[in-house]
Parts: sequence; C-alpha cells; structure tokens
Amino acid sequence: MGSVQAEFLKLKRSMSWAVVIVLPLMAVITGTTNTVVSGQQLDDGWKTLWLRVIVFYGLFPLAVGVAALASLIWRVEHRDGNWNALMGRRVSSLEIVLGKAAVLAALMAAMQLVLLAGTVLAGKLIFGLPGFIPSEYLLVSVIIVLACLPVATLQSALSMLMRSFAAPIAIALLGAVVSVGLLLAEINGLIAVVPYALLGRATQLGTGYFADSGSITTGTMLLLIVASAGLTALTVVATAAGLDRRDIR
Amino acid sequence: MIAQAVHNEFAKMRHLRVGPLVAVMVAGVLAVTCRELTTPGFLESVDDPAGQSWQRLLASMAFAAPLVSPILIAVLASRQVDLEHQGNGWLFSHTSGLPAGRLCRTKFLATGAVLGAATLIESALVIGVGTLVGITVSFPAGQWLAYTASMVVVNLVLLALHLLLATRIENQLIGLGIGVLGVFLAASGSGMQPWLAHLTPWGYYALATPLDYRGEVLASITPWHLSIVALAVVGTAAFLLITRRFDRQEV
Repeated sequence: MGSVQAEFLKLKRSMSWAVVIVLPLMAVITGTTNTVVSGQQLDDGWKTLWLRVIVFYGLFPLAVGVAALASLIWRVEHRDGNWNALMGRRVSSLEIVLGKAAVLAALMAAMQLVLLAGTVLAGKLIFGLPGFIPSEYLLVSVIIVLACLPVATLQSALSMLMRSFAAPIAIALLGAVVSVGLLLAEINGLIAVVPYALLGRATQLGTGYFADSGSITTGTMLLLIVASAGLTALTVVATAAGLDRRDIR
Repeated sequence: MIAQAVHNEFAKMRHLRVGPLVAVMVAGVLAVTCRELTTPGFLESVDDPAGQSWQRLLASMAFAAPLVSPILIAVLASRQVDLEHQGNGWLFSHTSGLPAGRLCRTKFLATGAVLGAATLIESALVIGVGTLVGITVSFPAGQWLAYTASMVVVNLVLLALHLLLATRIENQLIGLGIGVLGVFLAASGSGMQPWLAHLTPWGYYALATPLDYRGEVLASITPWHLSIVALAVVGTAAFLLITRRFDRQEV
C-alpha cells in the first residue's frame, strides 16, 4: 500500500495530467471536427460518433500515450541518485512494480473516463443525439482499460530497463504498427498474446473495423479479459524478476 | 569547427541507437504503405493503367507517413537533446566554444541528414516494393519526386521544431506529447479545409499530397507546393532566429 501511495506522490508534479486529459480530448475533438467539417451525418447516432472517436485513437495514439505515461513514472527513478535509493528500499521488487502498475491503471482509467465524458458532451452539445451513450460502450470502455494494462506493464518494464525517456515510446509505436498488421491479417492467435494488438483489438470492439465483426459478443469480451489479465500478470512478474537482478549505479 | 561538431553529433548518435530508431520509422511507413497491396484487386491490376497501381501506392504512402513520422521525429529530437540535459552537455559545449544555439544547429545538421536520407530511402523502398510485385504501368516520376521532396521538407521542419522544444523544455514529455497531438492533426489534415491545414506544420503533410480518393475513385489533386516552400523558408528563418537567441542566453 505504501508503494502505491509513494508512486502517486511522485506523480504529483509530473504533468501526467497533460497526457490523461489532452490525448483523449484530442481524439474527441478531431473525430467531432472531421464529422462537422465534412458535413456528414451521424447515421447510426452514438455508434457512428463512438467509432469516429475511437478507431484511430485505439490504433496508434493510445499505445503511444500509455508508453509516455510509463516512461514518465520511471523517469524520476533514473535521475540523480534515485536509482540507488530505489535499490536500497526495504520493499520488494514486486511491490515496486505493482505500485507502478497501480498508478498506470489509475491513469488509464482516467484517460478512458475523459474520452467517454468528451464523447458524451460532443454527442449531446454538438450533435444533439438523443438519450445517453449506449451502455455497451461503457462495458467496452472497461475492457479497453483492462487491455491497456498489458501494454502499460510491458512499457513499464522497458522504461525500467532504458534510461531514455523516448526510446520506449518508439518501441510502442513499432508495436502499434505491428498490431495494425496483425489486426488487418486477423491473426487471432497472435492478437491474443501481443499486448499492443490486444489493446488495438479491444478498442475496435463493436466498430466493425480491423478484425471486428461489428457486434459485441460475450466470447470476444471474455477472451479479451482473460488475455489481458494473463499478460498483465506475466509482465508484472517478469518485470519484478528483472528488477531483482538490477544493481546499483 | 562546425565539421568537428557535426562529427561529434554522429558519434553521439551511435550510442543513442539512432540507426534502429530511424529503421523503425522507415519500416513503419513501409509496412502501413504495403497494406495497399492486400486490398482486393491490387495485385491483379499491376499491368493495367486503369488500375492506377503506382498512384495507389503513393496515396498509401501519403497516408502512412503522417501516421508514423511525427512521433518518431519527436523521439529522434528528444534523444539527441536529452543527453545534453542529463549530462550537463550545454555547459561543456558552451565552454568549448559551442553555445546552445550553435549546438542546436549542429544537431539539426547531423540529425537532419539522417532523417532526410531515411525519408528518401522510405520512398525508394516503396518504389522497390512496387517493382517487386510487378507493376509495369508507367511510373509517375514527377508526382512521386515532388511528394518525396515535400515530405523531406515537412519532416525537417518538424525536426527543427522538436529540437527547439526539447532544448527549451527539459521535461521531454512535452515535446513527445506535442508529437502525438501532431499525429492527430496530420491524420485529419486531408479532411481539413486547406486554410486550416496551413496553420500547423503537421497539416502540410496533407497539403503535399498529390492524390485523393473521391468516393472509390483515386483522383489527382494539385499539391500546395508554394506553401511547402513557404514553410521551408519560414521554418528556416524561425529556427535560425530562435537558436541565435539561445546563443546569447546564459547556460
């Protein structure tokens, strides 16, 4: 618990809010602006708006945003004498890694909330859509947050290993490109084990694009949840083991 | 002096693994471009002028480059500058006669050479892929070269912008965050009104595009070449002006 609190304290002046707020809002703004400027109608109401916001955001920017946040939470450890202080802490490596993962999970959830809130506001205020966003998209949002976790923990591992802030972000972009390839080729076996592809698949849920049928089925949701949980557990344990083997600098 | 400084920057690049980073950019653009090969009917129409095979590949590259390049350019600039922040390099360079602004210009020369070459390689590789899959219809050399040249200009202007950001703001999140936002602007540039696309450097990727889909039909459009030239001039002037100011500031 102390590790989680410490991680949140470190985050206070890190400007993580910039990614958490601006990135999803940018997705909403570009999705909305493109619709307004092109003069197209939202033929299928909330569904059309949702896919205009989420499809592109889920393919590239989300993975890169998650990578930037993971780099941010490890950046402080690589500066000054903080790495040695980290190595000298009495808490276990697993606790440290779990603390970082918990902070990242909270940030992912906040990002998705901002995206949802922005989409709802755009739907009501700009397009005057009736009712509230369908509950299935709230469920999809929960799955997206869960699918963010394997990417977040993997990026956390990379940011732990690399002192550079930017290099892990380049790897995330490469992962996102590979994931687009896997989604286009519909190689489901690999999609379930490559974190970036899993996140890409989760964001396309119900859109009908990139390997998605357009309907949200229980089977697909269960597969995404189980794969996300499994990959997250695996990366957390591997990162803790990796941290155990790191030495002071 | 400048030649030696540029040489030093290349030495730094070796340790910063700039090579693999640039390879990621080239591979990323190539991979997204090549998705066009998987579209129905592409491979069957490589020898049919009505199939517009080269044009389709060029349009696909014009879609891929704005998706992949802005973030990797931000990463490239951040890597090249962040080591100066971490290792007190600004002060060391200044005391050896290379103030911050001149160091910035040196970084631009060295990194820009790599980025420019990577952009040309990107374009050449797409031509190579087109040749390999057996496109036999006439190659639109003028259109292709003009787009490649425009892409080099836009990439270099973005590199200059990110070098300035990374130098001025030590927290590299800002520069990279702006790079990610740039992807949104670049990706939605083709749907923007041209005047709106002129307002940010990322919008110029769309202004350079010589082809656009009108429904299912791929049509040639007139790229805003003068605007690209103006971007190069304004970008160069702004970069020189700002880096001169860096030269006069205390480290």
